[in-house]
Amino acid sequence: MIEEWRLLDTGLNDAFYNMALDEAILIARSKNIVPNTIRFYRWRPPAVSIGYFQSMEDEVDIKTCDKLGIDYVRRRTGGGAVYHDTEGELTYSIIVNEKHRLISRNIQETYRILCSGLVLGLRQLNIPAEFKPINDIVVYGKKISGNAQTRRINIVLQHGTILRKVNPRLMFRVLKVPSEKIRDKLIKSIEERVTSISDILKRDVSFDEIKKALIKGFENSFEIKLTSGRLTDFEEEMTYKLKREKYVMKEWNFRR
Amino acid sequence: MGKAAYKVKDGKMIKIQLALENKKIKDLKITGDFFLHPEETIEEIEKNLRGHFLSMEELVHVIKETLTSKRAVLLGASFEDLARCIIMAGERND
Repeated sequence: MIEEWRLLDTGLNDAFYNMALDEAILIARSKNIVPNTIRFYRWRPPAVSIGYFQSMEDEVDIKTCDKLGIDYVRRRTGGGAVYHDTEGELTYSIIVNEKHRLISRNIQETYRILCSGLVLGLRQLNIPAEFKPINDIVVYGKKISGNAQTRRINIVLQHGTILRKVNPRLMFRVLKVPSEKIRDKLIKSIEERVTSISDILKRDVSFDEIKKALIKGFENSFEIKLTSGRLTDFEEEMTYKLKREKYVMKEWNFRR
Repeated sequence: MGKAAYKVKDGKMIKIQLALENKKIKDLKITGDFFLHPEETIEEIEKNLRGHFLSMEELVHVIKETLTSKRAVLLGASFEDLARCIIMAGERND
C-alpha cells in the first residue's frame, strides 16, 4: 500500500500568513492532527523573507519595500534573504515527521533527500537540475531553487523557492547592497549566478505546469501518493493566531 | 562597537556586532545566513560568550560546549569560523 500524504495548494497570501501557516501545519503535524504534508504557495503582495539569524535592517531596504508595497518577514528557518515575486516564484513546504524513513539525523543528508523531490520534478520539465550542498538546486551551475529547514517538536519543516522568472533589478532594490557603486555589478552577478524555469525552457511556463511536474517529482522520489486536502480548523485558527501574535510583530521581525 | 563580516568558503555568511569592556566581551550579536538547529541556541551562544576574552581557544571552547549541551548542529560555518569573526570584530572595536 503506497503511503499517502496531504497536498495543499494555498494560492496567493501575504507573507505573514504564509509563514504562520507553515508553522501551524508543523504544530498540527506534531499533535498528529494532520498527515505529512506538501504545500504550494505564492506571495501577494510580493515579499522579502529573511533567515532566522539575519538582521532585518542589515538585509532589507525597508524604505523601498514600504514605498513599493512589499512585505518583509522573518522566517522560522535559517538561511538567507529572499525576494518572493508574485509571478516569478513558486514556494513549497514539506512538513514531515522526524521519524519518517526520508529523514536522516544528518541535516545535510536530509536536505539532499528532500530536495531530490524537486530535482526529479524539474527533470520532468526537461530541466537538468542537480542538488548543490548546502541547500541549493542548480541548473548548469546556476541556482534555480533555495531551501531552508528547521526541526521542532519532532517535525521537520523544509520550505523553499523555485524560480519561474527572475527579476534581479527589483531583487536588488529591496535587498540591501554594501554600496550603491556595486549595485550594477551585483545585478550582473545575479544574472550570471541565478536562473529560472522560463529562462531555461525559453518559454512562459505556467504555475500549473510547474506544480504538476513537482507533484510527480515528489511522488516518485519519496515513493508516496499526494492527495489534495484541506486545512483543518485547528490549522486555520493557529495560523491567524501566529500571524497576529508573531509574524506581523516588530518584536519578531526586527529581533536581530 | 566593533563589526565584522566573514564569508565561509563553500559555506555561509557570518556577521558580528561586538562591544568590549576591559578586553572582555560585554555584548555581541551573531547574524548571518547559516543554519543552526535548534535555532534558539544562538541566544545561548551569545549569552555564554559574554565575559570571555577574545582568544580563539576560549571562544571555540565556549561555542562547542554550548552546542554540545543543547545537542545543537551548526551548518554552513564551523565553531572556528564563528570565533574568527568575533575576533575580527574585536580588532575593529573602538
